[in-house]
Formats: sequence, structure tokens, C-alpha cells
Amino acid sequence: MSAALLARDVTVELGGRLVLEGVSFEVKQGEFAALCGPNGGGKTTLLRAALGLVPLAGGAIELLGAPAGSASAAVGYLPQAKPANASFPARVVDVIAAARRSSWPLFVGDEERERVRSVLARVGGERLLDAALRGLSGGELQRVFLARALASDPKLLLLDEPTAGVDEKGRGEFLELLDGIAARTDLAAVLVTHSAEAVRRLAERVVYLDGSVRAWGPPGEVLEREFARGSAFGGHDHETAAGARCESA
Amino acid sequence: MQGLVELVAAPLGQAFVQRALGAGLALGTAGALLGVFVVQRGLGLVADGLAHATFGGLALGLLLGATPDRAIAIALPFTVAVALGIQQLRRRTTLGGDVATGVFFAVSFAAGVLFLGLRAASAPPVNVEALLFGSLLAVSPESLLVTGVVSALVVALLLAIGPQLAYATFDPELARLSGVRVAALESLLLAVTALVVVVGVRTVGVVLVSAFVVIPAAAAQLVGRTLGAILALSLATSLFATVSGLLASYHLNVAPGATIILVLGAIFLVALTLRRR
Repeated sequence: MSAALLARDVTVELGGRLVLEGVSFEVKQGEFAALCGPNGGGKTTLLRAALGLVPLAGGAIELLGAPAGSASAAVGYLPQAKPANASFPARVVDVIAAARRSSWPLFVGDEERERVRSVLARVGGERLLDAALRGLSGGELQRVFLARALASDPKLLLLDEPTAGVDEKGRGEFLELLDGIAARTDLAAVLVTHSAEAVRRLAERVVYLDGSVRAWGPPGEVLEREFARGSAFGGHDHETAAGARCESA
Repeated sequence: MQGLVELVAAPLGQAFVQRALGAGLALGTAGALLGVFVVQRGLGLVADGLAHATFGGLALGLLLGATPDRAIAIALPFTVAVALGIQQLRRRTTLGGDVATGVFFAVSFAAGVLFLGLRAASAPPVNVEALLFGSLLAVSPESLLVTGVVSALVVALLLAIGPQLAYATFDPELARLSGVRVAALESLLLAVTALVVVVGVRTVGVVLVSAFVVIPAAAAQLVGRTLGAILALSLATSLFATVSGLLASYHLNVAPGATIILVLGAIFLVALTLRRR
């Protein structure tokens, strides 16, 4: 069985700067992995390279056995910044229907509405079906975009700091949702996060990235090693009581 | 009631008004539908820039000896080239679309002035005022046909690519991940905008044509909640303004293009008061 995500000696250069160098690791199918490291360590770049949004200067990435950027329907993506065009007349039902159709719906029929409703139900967001996107809170927006990422029944979910900018209550609720995803054996996930709580609660494996892979293994082992170095989350674990212990040395 | 019928029937009984109405409705349809995507992508100023670039293209055609009607054959590739130049400048540099448009706008217009000045003294005189402000009531059967064909092409194209173009407008990155060819669609949108603007310049002039693209869509965006509703409102706004503006200009004996745009402006003000919060 091929890996959900396989990175082999990946090198990425952006604007003349080497962002990733010789990065190799593997996420197995059904596994929930966390990608941690300091700001500028290349976590988001690695996800974007896996999706084919950033070119590789060297090495290779495979998603579900296919080269980077070619497994779109089987890969769900929850980007860090959303949505790109805030003035666009988007309702939640349109956003999720668009993900299913790969084009924007000018009209959503009853049957499609029900399908979208059932996708929203997976994240507890049915009541948002007809809401305008621009009126949603940060937590609601994340919920909708998680539903969007799940709309095509992916085998691999890539989540880029999904709780950034969300209040504490929203973060707690979102972690509950991710708990449900982590429990699934048919869905692998890679979560970029600065949150020690999210790592401990969700991840089966942690990749600590700082330009290259500094550590890779079970959460307890990696966190302990990086805490010992005083750099586990690059000083950005503001989400847990353990945050103080994660401050950079 | 009979008076109202006469107000409408009297002008419509005349062939030149019928042609003006046909050209106005065709241009209004293409501009209103295309405008929704142009405005949503923040390219409203680009439509204005392309209109001024068209002046350069038409002037080049006249310099090369074409008649004002035939100069469109030179203006079209010239304006499409400017549209693609603006897109490349936006994509490959850190300059914003407004700056890229501003550069091409000024250079193309200046080139047009130069081209007109370089024409031989023996060349037929050119009515620059007609180029700048158009002459909707003087639309020839040939121009009407060209405008109608272009409008039909734009509607057909938007029916085919509209949903993907809309997805790319909402979020280019997510659209690209879904297999939408975002860059190619943007090039196509700009090229089609150039086509509509070139055809529109012959009827409503350089200065006013972008209003047909921008104002109906802007008014509809203020009120509409979904993309489908915005497209319908933009089209209805444009068609209503064209018919009422043309009839009003006939009875008031004033310029039809300017009157249509003033009606569009009035509708925009109404939309502003009704806008969704």
C-alpha cells in the first residue's frame, strides 16, 4: 500500500532563499501527523509544494502514490488564509457545492443542497447552509472550510494552521472536530500547527521541521526532545497552559 | 396611456433609432454580464484603460489608411495586446493592476494622438469627437451586425466558462487545485473585455464605454446576494437603462450614450441606498 504522503529529499527555494533542504519523511494511510517547527521553518511551504502550488528545486513528493499536485480529488486542503476574495457573493452552500463541482454554482438545486447539508452535518454546521461567508466568525469559517475540504471524501487531509486567529472557545470546538477525524482509519491527515495541545491530542506522529527534518517520531518522543532543547514550538504555543514550557531558549 | 405608447412608438418607428437600440442592447448585454466578473476581480479600471488603448489602435488604423469603421480590425489586436500586457505586468512584477493599467492607458492614448498627427495632410479628416464620445444614433447596419455577433459570442463564452471563471474569482488557489486553469481564464477574460470595449468604442466612444461594463455590475453587486442574482440584476439594469436612456435622449434631443450612462448612474445611486449590509 502506498503512503498517504511521501517526501523524498525535498528541496524548495523561494525568492533565492533555501526554505527546505533534503526533507524526507512519510505519513502512512490512515495516520494523523503533525508538522511542527518555528515560523519560517517551511511547514506551509511543504504543504503547498505537496499540492503543486510551489515548485520543487529537488527531490519528490507523492500524495497517495501520485506525484505532487496530481491527486486533487482525493486530497482535501484547508488553507491558512481564507477566503481570497472577501467581497465575492459567496454563501456557505455555494462554497461547498463549488468544491464538489470544481466550478462555481450559479444555481443549487434541492438534491445538491441536501448533499451539502449532509457534508456540513459532519462538522456540526448545518445551520450555516445559507449563511453569507462574509458574516461568519473565525471559528464558523474554519468549520465551513473543513466541511469544504471533506466534501470530496478525500483520503488525505492537509490542514494549515486551522485554529490560527480563532478564539479559545472556537479552538476547543475545532479540536473536537479534528478528534473525530483522527479517529478515522480511512483518512490520513497532516496538520501544520504551533499548538502543543493539538499535537498531544491528535497526532500519532510528529515531524519537526526547521528547514530540514530535525525530528520525526511519536509525539511524546519528539516533544520531549524539542522541549529539552527549549524550542518545541518556536515560542508560539500560545494555546495551552503548557505554552510557557515551549518558549524558545 | 396613449401618450406613453406614442412616446415609445414614435422613435422606434425610425430605422436609425432601431439600429441604435439594437446596438445598445447588444453592447449592454455583453458589458453587463462580463462586467460582473471584471468588477469582482477588481479590474474595473482595466476596462477604462482598454477603452483608451482602443483610441491608440483606432488611430493606428487610420494612420495606415483604414476608414473609421475598418480601423476596428487594427484596434482589436492592438487592444487585446494591451490587455495581455497589463496582465503580464500584474503577474510578473509587484506592480498592482491600477499601476499597470495607468502605464498602458497613458502610453496608448499618447500613441493615438501621435498617430493622428502623423497622418498625411491629404488624408480624409477624422472626427475625434466621435471617437471620444461615440455616435450611437449613427450606428451603421454593418456595425450593428458586428456588435450583435460579439454580444452573442460573449454570452456563449460566459455560459461555457462562467462557473469556472467565478470559482477562480472567488479563490484562485482553490480553483487551481480543482483543476481550473486560472491564468488562462484570466487572459481570456481580459481579451474578451478588450473585444467588447473595442466594439463599444465605435458606438458610445472611448470615454463612456467602460461605464457599460462597470456600472451595471457595480449596482448589482451592491444588492445581489448570489452570483446568479448579481448577473440577472446587472443584465436587467443595463437593458432598462439602454431603453429608457435612448428614448429620453430622443425626446430631449441630447446625446444618447451620455443619457444611458446617466440613467445607469441613477440606478447605481438607488442600489447604494438599498445595498445589503
